Amino acid sequence: MKIAFLKEDVEKLIKLSKERNVFMEGNIIKLIDDQGNPEFAEYLEKAKQKDKDSRKMRLEVTKQVQQQNKELEAKAAENDQLMNDLKQALEKADAAKKAALNDLDLLQKRTQFELIGRIVEVALWIIMGVGVTTTLLYCIALFSGSVKDTTLLGNTWSNLFGILLTNSFSIIGTIMGVKYASGETSKKG
Amino acid sequence: MSEIINSILLVDDENLFHLVFEDACSLLDITLDLRSLMSADEAANMFEKWQKGSADKPECVFVDLNIIGSSFDGIELVRKINYEYGNGVVIGIISSSSDQQEVGKAIQAGAQFWIVKSDDIEPRLEEFRKDYNGYKNRTAPFKLYQ
Repeated sequence: MKIAFLKEDVEKLIKLSKERNVFMEGNIIKLIDDQGNPEFAEYLEKAKQKDKDSRKMRLEVTKQVQQQNKELEAKAAENDQLMNDLKQALEKADAAKKAALNDLDLLQKRTQFELIGRIVEVALWIIMGVGVTTTLLYCIALFSGSVKDTTLLGNTWSNLFGILLTNSFSIIGTIMGVKYASGETSKKG
Repeated sequence: MSEIINSILLVDDENLFHLVFEDACSLLDITLDLRSLMSADEAANMFEKWQKGSADKPECVFVDLNIIGSSFDGIELVRKINYEYGNGVVIGIISSSSDQQEVGKAIQAGAQFWIVKSDDIEPRLEEFRKDYNGYKNRTAPFKLYQ
C-alpha cells in the first residue's frame, strides 16, 4: 500500500527541504508514492538516506551504551565480589584477633596462677618448716627438763603458731582476692 | 529480494535492545510495523486477547530467553503462544545465550529459530529474513543464527 500526497503538499515538502533542510523521517517515507514526479522522487530518496544515516548513528550510539552498560554491570558484579571477599577477610581477621586475645588472656592467667601456686607452695613449706622446727625445739626442751628453756620455747611456740596461722589466713585471703580480681578482669575484657 | 514482514513483536526486558532491534529492522527494511514489550506476562495477555480473533496480531514474534520481571521465561512464552493460544505466528528466541539444553527446550516448545544477540545483530537478521518465507510456510527447519 502506497500513500499519495496532493500536488500542493508535495511542493510544500520540497520547498521546506530546500529552504530549511527539513525532511520527513521514519518508516512512513518507504510508503509514499512519488507519483512519477522526479523532483519528489529525489526528495524521497534524500529523506530515506537521511533517515538511514540518522538511524545508523543512533544504532551505533545505542550499541555503545549497551556495551558500556554490560561493562558497568560486569564491574559492579566484580565490585560486589571484592566487597564480599573483603568482608570475609575482615571477619576472619576479627575472629583471629579474638582468638589471639583469648589465648593471651589464658596465658596471662596461667602464668599468674602458676606464680600464685609457687608462692603458696613456698609459703606453706616455710610455715610448715618453722612450725616443725619450733615444735621440735619445744619437745627437746620438754624432754631435757630445762624449765627455763621450756617456758621460753613454749611462749615462742605459741606466739609463732599464732603468727603463722594469721599469715596463713592472710596468704589464703590474698590468693582468693587475686583469683576474684583476675576473674573480673577477664569478664570485662 | 525478500518480502517485508508485515508486523513484528519483540518481547525483551532490555529497553536498549528495543532501540537496537528497531533501528536494525528499519535499516534492513525487515518490517514497517515493530512493537516491543518488556514482559512475558504482557505478551501472553495480548496473545490471549488475539486468540479471540484480531487483525492486530503480529506476524512474527521474537522472544528473549530470560525476561526479568516476568512470571515465566521466553521458552514458556513460546510454548504458551504455540500450544495454548494457537495463533500460528512465526516465533523464535533471541538471546545472548546459545546453551544447547535451552535450544533443545525451545525446539520442544515450538520455536522455529534462535538468533544469538551480539554487537553485530544485523547480519543475523539479514540471514533470518532470507529464510523467513520458509518459517511462514512451515517448511524451513529450526535454525540457530550465531
